[in-house]
Amino acid sequence: MMNNKILRRLMPAALMVSAVMVARPAHATDYQKLVDADTQAFQSYFQKEFPEVKLADFANGVYALDEDARTQWQEMEEFPPYELDVEAGKALFNKPFANGKSLASCFPNGGAVRGQYPYFDEKRGEVVTLEMAINECRVKNGEKPWPWQKGDLAKVSAYMAYISRGQKVDVKVKSKAAYDAYMKGKKFFYAKRGQLNMSCSGCHMEYAGRHLRAEIVSPALGQTTHFPVFRSKWGEIGTLHRRYAGCNKNIGAKPFPAQSEEYRDLEFFQTAMSNGLEYNGPASRK
Amino acid sequence: MKKVLSLLSLLVLMPSGSMLLAGGCSSALIDQAEAARKEAAALRNEWRDTASLIASAKEACEQGQQAKADELASRALNESQQAVAQAQFMEKNWEMMIPEH
Repeated sequence: MMNNKILRRLMPAALMVSAVMVARPAHATDYQKLVDADTQAFQSYFQKEFPEVKLADFANGVYALDEDARTQWQEMEEFPPYELDVEAGKALFNKPFANGKSLASCFPNGGAVRGQYPYFDEKRGEVVTLEMAINECRVKNGEKPWPWQKGDLAKVSAYMAYISRGQKVDVKVKSKAAYDAYMKGKKFFYAKRGQLNMSCSGCHMEYAGRHLRAEIVSPALGQTTHFPVFRSKWGEIGTLHRRYAGCNKNIGAKPFPAQSEEYRDLEFFQTAMSNGLEYNGPASRK
Repeated sequence: MKKVLSLLSLLVLMPSGSMLLAGGCSSALIDQAEAARKEAAALRNEWRDTASLIASAKEACEQGQQAKADELASRALNESQQAVAQAQFMEKNWEMMIPEH
């Protein structure tokens, strides 16, 4: 009688345990492994396309591919046009908010955290970029967010990239939700869009290294390592999402807002494809 | 003479004035283009110039330039329909676009 009572009490728990055991797959999906295979294939594509270029040099973008352009760029880098922006970014990073705190209060390691972004925030269920984290710090401390594409946000991002130089790109994809975001970015990268029916990969994989009028098309590998960039065309420093929007406009697609889910997922995917390269931003570009 | 001129100017201005008072013009083509643009936007694949083409079509329509309005609206409709078809095709086939070496 006593034994029956105990059994009845234990039965629900036993059923739950067995249900969990049945529901759990024998081997949970290793999302990082799937991403690593993509990264390997992606990097292999460029290494086969440009066998004379060392993998690490793809972080220099188009200047890894063309010697003449590289020479000009190296001369420009002796007095880099983003130097004043980095200095201004440092001052803004340490400038106290009205509440006495500062951006420095939000970021460890003195702000040298470029290598930790972008990442997938499992609690929020979304990709968090460095620029997003900077503005969220401001809002959390009662300040207004800065515009996303240029100006003070780009300057602070440039400073944080500068003091993080040499950190390795190491995007982690650990969960189904993170993999979903990664796959959305991957789809965005390969799907054709706009009036010209072009994709990111169409230009920056298939046409990388070829001339587009007077310019050489940059390789997609390493593109996210060196942002923000001081672009001669802009005459100022700007963020990666500003460049994404410009690319979309060029192919006749309506651009998405900077830091939209689309561009954050694209950055997440594209950065994962550069895993193993070094962050070397900010940079100067034509 | 002044009264005659005033009456004449009233007659000239009346059609456009009444259109403005009526709150714009109506055009089935513009409505179709706008509906198709919204469909493309819902698929996250709106093209760059569609909204401005529709805005220009509305402006032409309000100014009584029906032929110009129809031409602009047709272009916008065509763009939107292509954007929708492009999005639907890419939804199914984007992985085929991954280049191989």
